[in-house]
Amino acid sequence: MAVELGEQTSDAAEPTTTRKPLYEGSTQFKHWRYSVEQLREIRALLNVTAVNAIKNAFEIDIPGSSENVSFLTSDEEHLLVKLYIGKVSQLCGHFRFPEEVEATAVSYLKRFYLKNTVMDWHPKNVMLTALFLATKTTNNPISLEAYTTHIPKTAPSDVLDLEFLVAQSLNFEFSVWHAHRALWGIYLDVQNLPDVPVDTLHEAYRTAVKHVRASRLTDAELVYTPSQIGLAAFSLASPDLAKSWAVSKDAESMLPIVRDIEEVIRRDGNGPDVENLGARPSSRKKAEEEAKAKEKRTRKADEVRRAMEAGDPFGQGHEVGPQGAVDLNLDDDDDDD
Amino acid sequence: MSKSSAWLRGTIVRKSGLSSSSLNTRPSTPAQPVASTSTASFGGGVKDATGKVSEYSSMEDQCPVCKSDRYLNPKLRLLVSACYHKMCESCIDRLFTLGPAPCPICNKTLRKLAFMPQTFEDLSVEKEVAVRRRLAKDFNKHREDFPDAKSYNNYLEEVEDITFNLINDIDIPETEERIAKFRRENAVLIEANIQRDESYAALLREQEELDRQRRGERARELAREEEEAREARETERRELIDTLENSSKDARALVAQAARRQREKERADRERRERMAGAGAETSAARAMRARAAVSAMPDVPHVPLQDDWYAYEDKFTIRTEGYYDPMSEAVRRDREGIMKAGGYAVDEAWERALRYAVAGLGIAPLSSSEPLSSMTAALVVAGDDAVMAI
Repeated sequence: MAVELGEQTSDAAEPTTTRKPLYEGSTQFKHWRYSVEQLREIRALLNVTAVNAIKNAFEIDIPGSSENVSFLTSDEEHLLVKLYIGKVSQLCGHFRFPEEVEATAVSYLKRFYLKNTVMDWHPKNVMLTALFLATKTTNNPISLEAYTTHIPKTAPSDVLDLEFLVAQSLNFEFSVWHAHRALWGIYLDVQNLPDVPVDTLHEAYRTAVKHVRASRLTDAELVYTPSQIGLAAFSLASPDLAKSWAVSKDAESMLPIVRDIEEVIRRDGNGPDVENLGARPSSRKKAEEEAKAKEKRTRKADEVRRAMEAGDPFGQGHEVGPQGAVDLNLDDDDDDD
Repeated sequence: MSKSSAWLRGTIVRKSGLSSSSLNTRPSTPAQPVASTSTASFGGGVKDATGKVSEYSSMEDQCPVCKSDRYLNPKLRLLVSACYHKMCESCIDRLFTLGPAPCPICNKTLRKLAFMPQTFEDLSVEKEVAVRRRLAKDFNKHREDFPDAKSYNNYLEEVEDITFNLINDIDIPETEERIAKFRRENAVLIEANIQRDESYAALLREQEELDRQRRGERARELAREEEEAREARETERRELIDTLENSSKDARALVAQAARRQREKERADRERRERMAGAGAETSAARAMRARAAVSAMPDVPHVPLQDDWYAYEDKFTIRTEGYYDPMSEAVRRDREGIMKAGGYAVDEAWERALRYAVAGLGIAPLSSSEPLSSMTAALVVAGDDAVMAI
């Protein structure tokens, strides 16, 4: 406390140019800003920890039972979160929530899954809770009953049970700086540039809003500042205007970063392809099943062959013979199916 | 007749909702005074300001053991066991007179003396009060016993933790162990604190006594003064009559002079009395309280975020006075009746905020890959352990 106070007084004593910029005082800048590698690392670490925990739980129950379980990879987890980010905007469209609610809920969802995994908390309910929280934190409240009755197969407890957990995972840092507001600001400020045709500007803005929405499906907000994302979205819609605006703000040096964000939006800005999504896990499962079936066939053939060799072609010895144990094994296998 | 009067007494007790135990104690139950039961065990029952234990009872009272209720037995008195189960006096006599026996409800071994009167309707409150009273005996540290607010808070947190465990029967052996450990480690301090609290209470009592004495003295003083003043007035009057009889001066002038003297004297008296009252108003007990409060008050300057001096990108943008072409805020600007602006919404402010967002952090380069995760990783590892525990 004393140290902090000291800093503040020294800040105040220094000339105004060294004052701390507002954005750098935000929790978004201080606690929710990562590099791309950090994001990957965090997700990998979360995944490994969760998988180990689940494996341990399996092993305690029945040793060796975790071998055949196919766990999600961190990429798959991320894909699942992305799918539910898409659902947020569907729900917001249904409830006619303002853009701010949608953007906030998406941020909450992303931030939540930087502290938790989808293997621990299913994203469906977390998504509903994040959206409900966002309606409250952005001052667009809706009653819990009205909220849950309009969503099929949802009870108020689904939302409330997770509410504190989600809030806690967010470190109770509910305020988010949004790119769509930055984009609006850019749109307004571009009007100060000379010779800007209003119609094309508005058209560009409408396109840029779509790009900002696409950027919500990406990790951009966890890496870049909202103004940079807004500028990138605007640049995707109208590169020339964006460039001249950036120049007017002495921010040409940021243009490479803007290119990076554009690239991110173009690459990751589409919702997951649900049709082809399920291919991997089910195919692996199928392969496993096939392998099992094959093993069973060979074992059965083996047995028949042995029975033949023992001079008992019709397998009557099964009831009394030494093969009884093997028979039991087979039964076991059948049960597994 | 005596029978009906006893019955009548019973009704009165019922109506008041409080059974005065001494009245209802039956001769057939010896050793029943409240004091003897209430000192046992946790010392149940909460004393009111007069030092009496007011018991809770209601019309719906029914003994869970023998099922006799107030309708059948107007003198029914339910006591609470150490395991917080209610039983009527006759059941207690029946079950526990021959020595410790298991509770008919939960099988915990109980003693007759460990039953206490019920003060609160809700037995969980009863239990909480008892637990807190018990803990307060050992956990009696003050703010002054800690170097900083944080450690004091941690201590309070621990006490609450233990209280919660005891109340809800969570990890009782472990919690008892914690209490015992605390008692071992802080034996000296606990003893010192007990003595300090006692001496403080004694000091307060002493000062109250002193104040009372002083008030009495002052009252006596006032009465004496009143008496003296009355006598003085009397002599004055007599003197005046004497002078009127003997003097040759103008009678009216003499009377006026005497009245003036009298008024002056009265005023002087009043002033003197007021001065005295003012000096005595502040009692020593209040002074002692304030002195104690001053010692425990720590300088803790709150952080007022509004006074922070932030750089809000003022030089990066200028807001146009003539407004913008902005279809998004069209509806608000057209709103002549001000319905949308009722909450204090101003388009200019929304624009300013948007413009600020547009330039905020524009020049901040993203984090480079080489920066370590450090604290984040540590936090995650801890979280991972928790996950293992949870599963």
